[in-house]
Amino acid sequence: MSAFDTRAAAALADPILKTAVERTAGTAEAKRTLAVSAFPDFGAARTRAAAIKDHVIAHLGAYLEQFEANAVAAGAQVHWAATADEACRIVIDICKASGARTVARSKSMLGEEIGLPHALAQAGIDRIETDLAEHIIQLADERPSHIIWPAMHKTREQVSALFKAKHRTPHEEETIAAMAESARRELRTRMLGADVGISGANFLIADTGAVCTVTNEGNAELSLVPPRVHIVTAGIEKIVPSMGHAVHMLRMLARSATGAALTQYTTFYAGPRRAGDRDGPEQMHIVLVDNGRTKMREEGLADMLRCIRCGACMNHCVVFRQIGGHAYGGTYPGPMGAVLTPALDGLAQSRDLVHACTLNGKCQQVCPVRIPLPTLLKGWREKSWREGLEPTSMRFGLGLWAWVAQRPALYRFGAGLAVRAMRLLGRGGWIERLPLAGGWTRHRAMPKPAARTFMDQYRQERGQ
Amino acid sequence: MSARDAILARLKGAAPDRSQADALLIAPERPAVDPAALEAEFLARLALPSVSASHDAIATLADLPAAIARYLDAQGEARTLCLPPDPRLERCDWSGFILHDVAAPAETAALAIARRGIAETGSLVFETGPAAPMLPNFLALHHIVLLASRDIAPYLEDAPLPGPQPRAHYWITGVSGTTDIEGTYVRGAHGPRFLHVILLRD
Amino acid sequence: MTQSVALFVTCLVDMMRPRIGFAAIRALEAAGCDVVVPQGQTCCGQPALNSGDRAHAIALAKQTIAALEPCPAIVVPSGSCAGTIRCHYPELFEGDADWLPRAQAVAAKTYEIMAYLDEVLGWKPDGVRLDATATYHDSCSGLRELGVKAQPRRLLAQVQGLSLTPLAGEETCCGFGGTFCVKYPAISNAIVGEKADAIAATGADLLLAGDLGCLMNMAGKLHRDGSPVRAYHAIELIAGMGDGPAIGEEP
Repeated sequence: MSAFDTRAAAALADPILKTAVERTAGTAEAKRTLAVSAFPDFGAARTRAAAIKDHVIAHLGAYLEQFEANAVAAGAQVHWAATADEACRIVIDICKASGARTVARSKSMLGEEIGLPHALAQAGIDRIETDLAEHIIQLADERPSHIIWPAMHKTREQVSALFKAKHRTPHEEETIAAMAESARRELRTRMLGADVGISGANFLIADTGAVCTVTNEGNAELSLVPPRVHIVTAGIEKIVPSMGHAVHMLRMLARSATGAALTQYTTFYAGPRRAGDRDGPEQMHIVLVDNGRTKMREEGLADMLRCIRCGACMNHCVVFRQIGGHAYGGTYPGPMGAVLTPALDGLAQSRDLVHACTLNGKCQQVCPVRIPLPTLLKGWREKSWREGLEPTSMRFGLGLWAWVAQRPALYRFGAGLAVRAMRLLGRGGWIERLPLAGGWTRHRAMPKPAARTFMDQYRQERGQ
Repeated sequence: MSARDAILARLKGAAPDRSQADALLIAPERPAVDPAALEAEFLARLALPSVSASHDAIATLADLPAAIARYLDAQGEARTLCLPPDPRLERCDWSGFILHDVAAPAETAALAIARRGIAETGSLVFETGPAAPMLPNFLALHHIVLLASRDIAPYLEDAPLPGPQPRAHYWITGVSGTTDIEGTYVRGAHGPRFLHVILLRD
Repeated sequence: MTQSVALFVTCLVDMMRPRIGFAAIRALEAAGCDVVVPQGQTCCGQPALNSGDRAHAIALAKQTIAALEPCPAIVVPSGSCAGTIRCHYPELFEGDADWLPRAQAVAAKTYEIMAYLDEVLGWKPDGVRLDATATYHDSCSGLRELGVKAQPRRLLAQVQGLSLTPLAGEETCCGFGGTFCVKYPAISNAIVGEKADAIAATGADLLLAGDLGCLMNMAGKLHRDGSPVRAYHAIELIAGMGDGPAIGEEP
């Protein structure tokens, strides 16, 4: 069994996980459906969103330079990182230069991607996760299992036990509201006392140099306004040309992620505190991170750079709904993760992800930026085949079958033999155990084929 | 070579034409808003479960303290208020209130003046500045917002304000909520649990 | 006027359930078509295509195109095989000046059987009767690549005595996914287990769909669960062959 198979088997054997995933993803799916049906022509809006991102990706260099110039004009300091390690080093250096002992972090998948939590720990900097789900994950010492709901895999009972063990004054009443209140008490004073606030970016606005974050909890603002320093880590693909373009993308993002018309808190930050301002950081740093994105653009994965991290693909994925996010083993789970992880971690380690998909097309259907996820997964499968990463048994079996299938007369003869052999194993109309197809018959019966193939019968009937 | 040069070298290409970018925004798909009934449209969105804000209306700015007192009394809260240092508010009679202008970590109620309301979503638009701190709006349990009815605009595209770009421009569309535990919605995750809009119809 | 139509049988129907092919012929002939079965056909190459084996996918696509291109129209009793020819053959030959036009020409005249009968021919079954309740699963490729959704329902509505009960999650994948179901049997089983529960919950006598792969997956699971639900390709009912053995029943 591969590492993926082992993780998937563990997930399938966990009824609590299934319940937890179903509760959140099921709700998200239902809410999105309502939101989309209430929106005038969501299909056209998806096409527009894709076109906006395609335009940016085609002119990415120029837009990044424009963003940088405007951010600098607003007083921010812009840094560039080619790799994850470089990005972490830049963040740690800024923290050290400002004498930071504690950082308040507002959930960012890019932060997870570059391994920022680990880098902060290595540097001896205390990290306060301010998003409720990330706080849960931090207390449990786990990794996020979903890009919108990182603690999706946890039930209320598990969260309750965790808070009771780790919070200073935990909840008494066993309700979700009381648990959230416990986290509010625990986090508030710590968050306000942090030296540095670190966030990601949902959008970078090229023509103003502003960084946009969206949250429903307001934790980004609470963790970014009081500290002396605000550090943004953002993937270079997060650019949009203007606020107007951001507005369209925000409409798509909220509806696709949670089914809301907009997130509760949407903020555009442009530089540090101005003269006369009553609050805000003294320094704002923006770290623009490549980490494989230019390579993806060059190597046929430009479509994937449209992704706005809404999570709709995983909420609607039959495989994700069964195994949850951790089984995928990377930073990003679900269909978008199956496309991204081979690019980030290497195809050899993540070969399973590109195959563990039924290619049913639902993810593409709900994607707000029309990413052809099944096509991209098939592209990875081709690369895996070309590079010889597929198992020999598979290559041999498929090769033999294809060789025969290119010789119709031989194929008909072989099909006739196969049918007769299968029929020998059947009892009644069904075959309960079929050699070489144990994957099938372990869980379901195989119908016994008819005595003669279609071609055989047809030739005889029509006298051909 | 610096990371910046290395990244940009791989992204060389024609500079985008502004008209190309603008063309992508012609006739955007968006929810219909009746321009003749902006206030009603705005209030309808405020009432949505995802926003769930309450509202009141006053005829002149002088009526503001009484409206806030009404709200705090109804909530069973003391008349203690974090007030932004906005000169317009100094003309109001705040007798009976305990006021302060720096928010405490356990702030009960804070007032803010919205620069604009957006009918499409029920959003309130704010900008930071010397008279408009940001933190109180995210700390207080009760977020009370003054909005002039004439400042309600139809769409999110109308949110940007004229003048120089502030440090932070932000939209508030409800209260601090979370669905992080089993997808169940809880209000008051970190910040406001209540949002109360006072419309000024002068 | 007689319309000449080629039947692309599909490898699965050829081997596992020939009566789907004969049902397709019967319905097409009832609709006034002159049906031929080109002898050069074997498999459309989808298993190679979805496994990343592009070279063999191209070889089989070329063979299939050569076998089918003389015919004015090609009809397939499978959404996923029709989708391979219609949507993916042209992608396979992108940049190939010789084969791309041939692939596009074949793609343009290839149809899923029920879409062809309903949309192209405007035909309705006449005098077909089957007293039963049935539920319908929308197979993914037919649904999302070819827009097969209303056509089978319109045709089935003409079968007298048949009532259709909606299936909860009718557009949710059944977990078949071609080689997926044998590469990741445990995940596939979890998915089809939920599908089988949803089918059983409808209380219908029959399960119908338009793709034999999905049908074998769902029927095999239902059988293993001990469910009495019987499974047919929808074209069998539409062609008046719904009184014959269901999938997994001896004739």
